[in-house]
Amino acid sequence: MAKTIVNNIRRLRFDRKEMTQQELADTIGVTRQTVNAIELGKYSPSLEVAFRIADVFGLPLDQVFQYEVVKRG
Amino acid sequence: MSFREKSAWITFVLVLAVFALWLTNVIRVEFFGLRHGNPMLFAIGLLTIFIVAEIVLHVAIALQSPAEARAPKDERERLIDLKASRVGFYVLAAGAWLSVGSMHIRFNTLFVAQNVMGALFIAELVKLATQIVLYRRDA
Repeated sequence: MAKTIVNNIRRLRFDRKEMTQQELADTIGVTRQTVNAIELGKYSPSLEVAFRIADVFGLPLDQVFQYEVVKRG
Repeated sequence: MSFREKSAWITFVLVLAVFALWLTNVIRVEFFGLRHGNPMLFAIGLLTIFIVAEIVLHVAIALQSPAEARAPKDERERLIDLKASRVGFYVLAAGAWLSVGSMHIRFNTLFVAQNVMGALFIAELVKLATQIVLYRRDA
């Protein structure tokens, strides 16, 4: 079974007073399009950006990103 | 659409327009022998129009989203650039080999030079098209 990187960024943003993608992007120093691509699982960020995202939410990395088997279809 | 994607579209359309004009001129000269005007002035004129249009259109899109225009490329955008440049390089390499091979069709320095120019144009167009596709697919 293939594993892939999944994340909870969308839910974490909404838990943080509905933080927008643009606000998160500005905080971690990437574009809004990159945050969107990460949320949708179309782009896996570098370790540095992953840590910056986790730092924004004050959580350890494994509570933001998980490496899991994803059912397709 | 992001600033970078708009920028890629602008450059793609302008390079395509310059390529079309250049190719029309090459076909007229090489295959129909229709020479008129100074080819150097034609090339300088095309290049000048291209540079001015690039500047004007990029200023226009930068005014629409100044923060995005000022921001440096992030890691995903740099990765897209690298992937697109790799695809463009393969096209350029193939074009260079074909240009060398074209000496067997017609041993003429200008003909070979024009084939190299054509390869440069096509490689740049393929690179820009790849960038646009990657921006669309990943966004």
